[in-house]
Amino acid sequence: MMRLPAFEVILPSTLEEAAGFLADHHQQTKIYAGGTDLVPSMKQGLFEPDYVLDIKSLPGLNGITDLPDGGVRIGALTTVSELAASPVLRREFPVLARAAATVAGPNLRNAGTLGGNICLDTRCYWYNQSFFWRSACGFCIKKDGSTCHVAPGSKQCWAVYSGDTAPALMVLGGRVKLTSRAEERVVPLTDFFVNDGLGRNVIRPDEILTEVLIPAARRGYAGHYEKFRVRGSVDYPLAGVAASGKPGGGGDLRIGLTAVNPRPVLLDRLDGLSLEDICNQAKRTAKPLKTSASTMEYRRHMIGVLVKRAIRGLSASSD
Amino acid sequence: MTDKKILMTFRVNGEEHQVAVSPNRLLIEVLREDLNLTGTKMGCDDGSCGSCTVLVDGVPVQCCMMLAVSYQNREITTIEGLARTELDPLQRGFSEAGGQQCGFCTPGMIMSARALLEHNPDPSLEQIADAMSGNLCRCTGYTKIIDAIRQAAAGYRQEEEKKKQTTTGGRRRRAV
Amino acid sequence: MSDDFTTVGKRVPMVDGTQKVTGHGIYTDDIKLPGMLHARIVRSTQPHARILRLDTARAESLPGVFAVVTGKDLTGKYGILPVGHDETALAVDKVRYVGEGIAAIAARTPEIAEEAAHLIDVAYEPLPAYFDPIKAMNQPDVLIHEDKPGNIERDYHHDFGNVEQGFADADLIRDDSFFCPRVTHAAMEPHSTLASFEGGKLTVWSSTQTPYYLHRTLALVLGMPMSSIRVIKPLVGGGFGGKDEPLGHEICTAALAIKSGRPVRLTISREEVFYIHRGRPAQHVWLKTGVTRDGRITAVHCKTIQDGGAYCSYGVVTILYSGALLGAIYDIRNFRYDGYRVLTNLPACGAMRGHGSVNVRFAFESQMDILAREIGIDPADMRLRNALEPNSRTANDLRVTSYGYPECIRKVVERSGWNEKKGKLPYGKGIGIAGSHYVSGAANAIIRSKMPHSNVMLKLDIDGGVTIYTGTAEIGQGSDTIQVQIVAEELGIGLERVRIVSADSDLTPMDLGSYSSRVTFMAGNACLRAAREMKSKINRAAADLLKVAPEQLVNRDSRIFVSSDPQRAVTFDETVVHALGTQGGTLVSQGSYTPPDEAKGGKFKGSGVGPGVAYSYSAQVAEVSVDVETGQVTVERIVAAHDCGRALNPLTVEGQIEGSVSMGLGQALTEEVKYDQGLTMNPGLLEYKTGGIRDTPIIESIIVESVDPEGPFGAKEAGEGSLAAVIPAVANAIYDAVGVRIKELPLTPERILKAIQEKQHR
Repeated sequence: MMRLPAFEVILPSTLEEAAGFLADHHQQTKIYAGGTDLVPSMKQGLFEPDYVLDIKSLPGLNGITDLPDGGVRIGALTTVSELAASPVLRREFPVLARAAATVAGPNLRNAGTLGGNICLDTRCYWYNQSFFWRSACGFCIKKDGSTCHVAPGSKQCWAVYSGDTAPALMVLGGRVKLTSRAEERVVPLTDFFVNDGLGRNVIRPDEILTEVLIPAARRGYAGHYEKFRVRGSVDYPLAGVAASGKPGGGGDLRIGLTAVNPRPVLLDRLDGLSLEDICNQAKRTAKPLKTSASTMEYRRHMIGVLVKRAIRGLSASSD
Repeated sequence: MTDKKILMTFRVNGEEHQVAVSPNRLLIEVLREDLNLTGTKMGCDDGSCGSCTVLVDGVPVQCCMMLAVSYQNREITTIEGLARTELDPLQRGFSEAGGQQCGFCTPGMIMSARALLEHNPDPSLEQIADAMSGNLCRCTGYTKIIDAIRQAAAGYRQEEEKKKQTTTGGRRRRAV
Repeated sequence: MSDDFTTVGKRVPMVDGTQKVTGHGIYTDDIKLPGMLHARIVRSTQPHARILRLDTARAESLPGVFAVVTGKDLTGKYGILPVGHDETALAVDKVRYVGEGIAAIAARTPEIAEEAAHLIDVAYEPLPAYFDPIKAMNQPDVLIHEDKPGNIERDYHHDFGNVEQGFADADLIRDDSFFCPRVTHAAMEPHSTLASFEGGKLTVWSSTQTPYYLHRTLALVLGMPMSSIRVIKPLVGGGFGGKDEPLGHEICTAALAIKSGRPVRLTISREEVFYIHRGRPAQHVWLKTGVTRDGRITAVHCKTIQDGGAYCSYGVVTILYSGALLGAIYDIRNFRYDGYRVLTNLPACGAMRGHGSVNVRFAFESQMDILAREIGIDPADMRLRNALEPNSRTANDLRVTSYGYPECIRKVVERSGWNEKKGKLPYGKGIGIAGSHYVSGAANAIIRSKMPHSNVMLKLDIDGGVTIYTGTAEIGQGSDTIQVQIVAEELGIGLERVRIVSADSDLTPMDLGSYSSRVTFMAGNACLRAAREMKSKINRAAADLLKVAPEQLVNRDSRIFVSSDPQRAVTFDETVVHALGTQGGTLVSQGSYTPPDEAKGGKFKGSGVGPGVAYSYSAQVAEVSVDVETGQVTVERIVAAHDCGRALNPLTVEGQIEGSVSMGLGQALTEEVKYDQGLTMNPGLLEYKTGGIRDTPIIESIIVESVDPEGPFGAKEAGEGSLAAVIPAVANAIYDAVGVRIKELPLTPERILKAIQEKQHR
């Protein structure tokens, strides 16, 4: 059994306390909620924090709340299982419920949180390995090294973003609330992620992702999520496509792509384009590299197929 | 880094345990090493196999990915918590229907199945596959795991049926 | 022999099932001894390098570290095969793959052991490394082992019958090449060993399939007499071949216990399992087969190269099985085999379920499908036309006794609706058939001697219970249960009266272990013989009580009665009391099994591997859907028939068939250990893709009982023979569905889609 390195656990009882601790110790702290992403990575020595800030039991960051304007607020600690099972999401924002239902396996969804799934670390064959493995390899640009083994010569990290819920939230126009001691700010998910496997997103180390806001605009829209993975469960996506549009194929189409770039990508202003054009645009946008199972060419091909199926799925799901 | 232990109370299988826990300790380490509940197994290190599945407040989760200090006062059920004097229908099912061979994935399988049958006493094949899709088995090919769960589900339903009949039967007698 | 059995043939739940479902069963990592230390192996980061410096001083001085050992402390060479003693428990002077052990540490906690591992100071001089067997053998600038020129571990060239004439007689000849990448066992339990050393006596608990070979190897490497070593096998969480030879970490754990004077436990991480795994080698297969117009095979030439990794392990056996077993399923009078086992700088390969036979079977059964289609014969029928005769000898001098293969084919054809579906399914849906087989116990022991392969003792005492003492290794396959059933059946008593103590060298007699699917046949026969001897002692007492001759007695339902007058009976209990009183107290009996000489094979070089005391057979039909836009395959249905001689326990036989099929499906569709410059790219169960419940169809198993003349109650093996067939059955079904022939495993959507697209462009 791999063990965790030593650290101190901070168990705040309020968000203020948590944010306060983070303000003072953010350089040496990792945030723990469901543990399903952080713990295996800590076992592998990818993170060696002095402090683990356990926010799992913080009050007020749970649950899915209907807002008076027709939008929805989701606490960051809401589990992925709760998203998948939520009647309001299934009915009004089905793309999110469907994406959530494909995350990992059922028991991981019971522990994993929405906040954690959004903030999921980028993944790569050369990165998600033990310290021993990485030392044998000579380390990589994302951790302890200077080269990218996927794209040698590149100064950038090409580890791939592999969250399922983010593309669904992006097509819904979702925003995340980031809380620090100094401020609260709300950032649209389209601005949240950066196309760099190392930097990943704009969250500052002193901030906690506390809630997700879905605007009313797409309430009741058809939604669909298509995922390519090797096995029928547990696996991270090798390509994922979220789609949202007016019921009955009535346009206002948006497509979200995941697992083919260092960040999830939103394809917008698609109305008037043919299905083939949209698929081609998605395939051009996708830049899968040799970061995981399957080949680059095949994953790009799959993005095209999944986009088509997701769009067709929109009409099917609104019947 | 100081390794200050934290005194924790764990409620496991209906019993309270006080354990001084290092912050970096996983729940599975506390169960197996401090409480000697070695029925919960460690198979993969990364959450992909499900052998370490336990119930926390009735919900199946994988305790090789959970910090122990985060589970103060939560109700934890391990495989050892299912049988008292006689086997749970799921335990009987896995044994009698050949749902276990080497037995290493079995505790995790049974805990996942237990959570399923708690909420759904008559699951379809699809629902069984869904609930069990986070647990890997290398011995059985899953066919007999499905048999075992179906046998157990029938067992649970019979038990429920019996309970119902005795209560309604009692009422009828009173009515007469 | 009467078929009127009381326990044999019944669906008996495993006798150790209860402890597994309650979580009370004890596996090695569950055992904690007072003062126990935790061990860790430090591993090589280099694929091939000379060790210039290995300084353990800093690690040894870390508080909490009790002992450190390196290769210099354990220089004794060993290996599972007498011809392959090329390993040391830790690398000495040179490392040969990334992940090879270079030092072992015992410390008070796992965390301290881990910290100490980082303090081991090692310097390497890198050497050129080979990761491709063809390069390793063709451009061997550097030798991985000095005594293996050309980096060839072993090559064999066999020629049976008249191959030239056979090809000349053929109406159609196909020549195809196939490739199977490396796959691994992925048993759910990571390997674990616990050792204690007290009063000059070493006790080792280990998750092993072969406690006897571990016992011998510990004695060899540690320089101790076997009588000072006790080896105990607790519950084992699956083996499949991954635990069927002594492994370095087991020796290190013992050495650390001796050096520290404290009990030491070492449980390796899942990642480390991929470094010590001994899986199925990557294998190139070039196969040429000639057939007549009516589908008779006239000649076969098979050339194969296996990537054995850095050490011999079972390699010499693997490369021989790949050739020898070509002879034991179809009647092939003329065949030639050229097999090369090659060394590379990757973790060593060894035995894995279906050892040596699986990759060649994929090639052979795929090519048979091609041939059948090209000459226009039903593939099921073509297989029947090439059937062997029962009780025959093959071209390579294997003795085939019972032979249920034709019945397996007929059963799966019938159950699957083959005749109605074949060639009639719409594009995208397909059906395929294939067969496979396996030895039911290797007729020759790994270490040649006249010793029996299995030994069993029985003890019967005043409580009326019988205890079986057996050296066999229960690893989840149900061998304990089968032995209990055999003894209960023969003694005419209930299962509840029979207890079993297995795999504890202080208590149990020698058995070679759980490999080559030998336990039911060999230990089963040993049990049967021991039970017969016990029965004669019991019946002597019963005869005395009933005043009849012992030959007139029948034992059944814990009664002993006169066959001509069933009412004239005594109970088992009263007979036991009488027997103990008249025959000197506790009753003991003994039984053993030695394979018959006529099963041991021919006299040519390499003839020792391939002979089985019997062979099992399997035929399978797969139905698949292929998504033609993505190449993704869904296996809709598997019908698998297996000839296991007699099913002593249909429940566990089905379990073995289903488990084999599911493991075969993994190799067919998703499994591959990937390497890049010697690094294992997917050393974990997240990226090494064994199938989950969603990836596995309900497997329809059919038991075929050919009743073997020598198996216990007619039984043969059930655990391995069904693995190989499913791979070509799926490949053949994919061809039927979309018309593309994939000759490289796994049958990934990428490969299938590419083939579909190429076909469309032609």
